[in-house]
Amino acid sequence: MPALRADVRQVSKKMGRAQALRQVSAGFGAGQVHGIIGPNGAGKTTLIRVLAGLLQPDEGSVAYDENGQPLSAADVKRVTGYFPQEPSLYPDLTCREHLEFFRDLYDLPQAPFERRAEELLYATGMTPFTERPAGKLSGGMYKKLGLMCVLLNRPKLLLLDEPTIGVDPVSRQELWDLVYGFAGKEMTVIVSTSYMDEAGRCGQVHVLSGGRMLASGAPQEVMAHFGVTDFAEIFLKNE
Amino acid sequence: MNFSWRRAKSVAYKEYKHILRDPFTLAVTLILPMIFVGMFGFVIDLDYKHMRVAVRDNDQTSVSRRFLQEMASSGYFDLSPVHTPAAADRALEQNASPALLVIKRGFGRNIRAANPEKPAQVQLLADGTDNVQASIMGSYMQGVVQKANAVFMRDNPELAGGAEGAARLAGGQIRSRFLFNPELNSRWFIVPALSTIIIGFLAIVLTALTVAKEWENGSMELLLSTPVRPSEIVLGKLVPYFVLTFLDVLVVFVLAVYVFRIPFLGSFLFYMAACWVYITGALALGLVISVVTRQQQAAIQFAFAVGLLPSFIFSGFIFPIENMPAFFQYFTALFPQRWFLLISRTVFLSDAAPATLAAAFGAIGLFAAAMILLAVHKFKTDVEP
Repeated sequence: MPALRADVRQVSKKMGRAQALRQVSAGFGAGQVHGIIGPNGAGKTTLIRVLAGLLQPDEGSVAYDENGQPLSAADVKRVTGYFPQEPSLYPDLTCREHLEFFRDLYDLPQAPFERRAEELLYATGMTPFTERPAGKLSGGMYKKLGLMCVLLNRPKLLLLDEPTIGVDPVSRQELWDLVYGFAGKEMTVIVSTSYMDEAGRCGQVHVLSGGRMLASGAPQEVMAHFGVTDFAEIFLKNE
Repeated sequence: MNFSWRRAKSVAYKEYKHILRDPFTLAVTLILPMIFVGMFGFVIDLDYKHMRVAVRDNDQTSVSRRFLQEMASSGYFDLSPVHTPAAADRALEQNASPALLVIKRGFGRNIRAANPEKPAQVQLLADGTDNVQASIMGSYMQGVVQKANAVFMRDNPELAGGAEGAARLAGGQIRSRFLFNPELNSRWFIVPALSTIIIGFLAIVLTALTVAKEWENGSMELLLSTPVRPSEIVLGKLVPYFVLTFLDVLVVFVLAVYVFRIPFLGSFLFYMAACWVYITGALALGLVISVVTRQQQAAIQFAFAVGLLPSFIFSGFIFPIENMPAFFQYFTALFPQRWFLLISRTVFLSDAAPATLAAAFGAIGLFAAAMILLAVHKFKTDVEP
């Protein structure tokens, strides 16, 4: 079950009056952790939503392939996990109920589901909180629950829109550890973030500013490209 | 990706949990019908009884008193005597009584004289600002006069030209007989129609909020990224609210039959089938509103506009459709409330065969199917603004 590769080619997208993406091109290689970094309003959410198939580009295209074999949009949807930036869980449903709901949405058989749920609960440290409603979870636990829901299906492409926003430093560290724990040959991860210190954690970074893709590559290469020692400087320079 | 019953079932189960955990919605849904039925069944009574009438008896004879006794015993009028012309005027002007009855001097003498040239006269002055009550009073009054005539003749046959005259008078009366609701009891007319109003309002509001709520709290975006299909979400959202609304129908039915003692003469099974179809259509209309507006506040306003108003105005609940201008008679045909109201009233009060209501049943069925298709068709599977 190899991971997916996604290629964004010359994608432009207008959201209302604002031009959110301007001819953005980027390659998201299989099995890596990609970070889309940029300040607020850079177009990160729009790009992630385009990758999730929730927005159609006005111009350009997005292609996915698995081991060089192109995949249809419907196939991609079945193997993609996406967790939005905004709160999107049901406050009155417990953690277990969320997992069971997503089990049915992904049509998972009971036995593999139970194994997977146990594995995820253990990894996230959420086992003691399975009967707690989502509305009563802390910010970090809430994100972990969301992550568990989308990881249940063992996606080949995981899209996380600013998962660490509004989360305390310890939980941020835990979330990154989780992402790395599950990433690998079987799953490509694309994470957007406006925390510049998180860029260094990614295998590949894609620098987005004002709807334009400024650079892509390994963190060190990108910093060398801009002649900076800190990602924040890229945006300070650009202002 | 094909339609999956499992996914539809999981959406329904999730929705069922939301309902159970939201005591306010649950309470409103179950208590509102009782309030509606109580309000319309007990408080609003379109039968005019005990209408206050000020009486100025200028005759003051045993005959005039006998006449007033007949009038009071009809139950339609509550009489209050006034003793001066000024007091009589005041009673009308100050709205103390909506009508004034004046018995002229010589009333008793004229009755006894039985002279066709000089009939005994009473005058009813009714307040025309309430034209409905005024005209009802007029017609009730005619009934009282007829009855009083009959009583006077029975007591003293020679007064009105002997037994022949009495027989002639009786023979000339029109005898009306009202079918299905012989007493023209307005409660019999209103309570069976309440299911139409309650479903037409509640069902639409309930589902109008569900999808909009998911858009507003962000869960729709997560849901759309999973393999779930619009048809599965629509079905999953319909089922729990269907059960809830059907409970309301049963509550109204039980209250109607066992509390208000309204006869149920038609086919129970046909009525239930019609309820199911009508509920489905109303819920699906709510979903269409929710899917299109994607905002709870806008959805609730739309739901009021398309749920509550047509239920009252275009269904025939208050205004008879036959009395509407031709355009509106056709226009009301677009609203399922009109058709379900017809079914509801007919099956309660008459034992007409379901086949006579086939057109109405077909209309609500067509509406339900159209709304489900529209909800699925209009369901957005992306987050485009």
